[in-house]
Amino acid sequence: MTTTSGFLLDQVMVTRGETRLLDTITAHLPGGHCTAVVGPSGAGKSTLLRLLNRLDDPSSGRILLDGIPITELDVLDLRRRVGLVAQQPVLLTDRVAEDLRVGRSELGDHGIRELLQRVGLPVEFVQRRTSELSGGEAQRVCLARALAVEPEVLLLDEPTSALDGVSSGVIVEAARDHVAAGGTVVLVSHDLAVVRGIADTVLVLDHGHLIAHGHPDEIDYLEAGR
Amino acid sequence: MTGLAELGWGGVAASLVLVAVAAAVAYRQRLHLTRELIIASARAGVQLIAVGALLLVIFAHAGLPGGFAWVVIMILVAGQVAGHRGTGLPRARVAATAGVATGSVITLGALLALGVITAEARVVVPIGGMIVSGAMQATGVTLRRLREDVQQARPVIEARLCLGLPAREAFLPHQRSALRTALLPAIDSTKVVGLISLPGAMTGLILAGVDPLTAIRYQIVVMYMLLAATALAALATARLAEHALFDHAHRLVPLPGPPGHGM
Repeated sequence: MTTTSGFLLDQVMVTRGETRLLDTITAHLPGGHCTAVVGPSGAGKSTLLRLLNRLDDPSSGRILLDGIPITELDVLDLRRRVGLVAQQPVLLTDRVAEDLRVGRSELGDHGIRELLQRVGLPVEFVQRRTSELSGGEAQRVCLARALAVEPEVLLLDEPTSALDGVSSGVIVEAARDHVAAGGTVVLVSHDLAVVRGIADTVLVLDHGHLIAHGHPDEIDYLEAGR
Repeated sequence: MTGLAELGWGGVAASLVLVAVAAAVAYRQRLHLTRELIIASARAGVQLIAVGALLLVIFAHAGLPGGFAWVVIMILVAGQVAGHRGTGLPRARVAATAGVATGSVITLGALLALGVITAEARVVVPIGGMIVSGAMQATGVTLRRLREDVQQARPVIEARLCLGLPAREAFLPHQRSALRTALLPAIDSTKVVGLISLPGAMTGLILAGVDPLTAIRYQIVVMYMLLAATALAALATARLAEHALFDHAHRLVPLPGPPGHGM
């Protein structure tokens, strides 16, 4: 077997009861690129994302990361390699600095300041109470917290859906930087302008089916939003 | 011995006058509680006479093994009652029963091993009853709190898991909060014992004619043993619940009730 960098989904199916949330998906999400997963609500986009860091497992089929089935990898190690930023920001502690250290307790003050800069937050935020953050600031802290673990792959689940333009721009820029540094991004988004701006590959899902897969210029679904 | 030691069945019958007073109040005030009050009073009498008769048989004929068997039955019943508080959590009754058993067996075992209490059925049964009861309350509170926390805090727990934290670490803040909730009542009642209320064991001994200093020694032991039983039962239950809540891939298992995770 030749080693393929990034994620390879091989005949992946997810069923819950009688419903097929994902139906026999086969696709390559190449390493070092940004892959966007688009489609209407209920298409199975977030379901797919949760499979990639094993928050869920497929009912059948398999998923490989850099040629190795992810079920053969240590799950905690996998989750450190594959960070996820959820749609709704979830803060875990009282202070921003503590939050950034949840996944990496040895992170020093310099590292924290660097992370805040990467997500466009001023360094004074180090001591800021998490309860005082706006939605956009909270989402940026969540992104910084995921970046603190230095993941190879960044999974972004509708990261800009509830945010103002500035916060959205910062998150898109951070995703672009991650790819530029050799990392991989898998982005679920309804915002087709964002997708056109950063995606190298697009997967279109509808009712659990993969209905299109290719370069953004080849995907008709993206034209609908123009 | 003086006081209640002399209480005969005639005295018990005479105390029915007090039930009649309460029933009369309920009737005159049209509380619609008269029937319930009379039934409750009769039921309490029957239950206690039955338990008394059973204990008489155990103490007279079954000896220490019978006393321990009685404690085991209490643990099983307490596990079912406490497990009900965690309905919706996987294997809640098993966790509750094991939790109550852990707290009770270790505490009772320590009291016996240290020679604090004598190994007689008439000592093991009432002391065991108090321990099991304390462990049951702590276990029930722990499970209820864990269930509420896990149902509401799934996104928080999953956010920690997504950072590569193992299940135990991802769950630790919730476990701590459940344990605090379970232990605080026992700590509070230990703080104010003797100031706000004269607790049951001490009251019983004083009524039975034991001098207050002896009664106090018993009560101190009772308070300390309840603290141990509560802490051990709550901790064992929380650990077992945690074990049932996560699968081998450090994932929170699906639970019934709000709010589940969507697509």
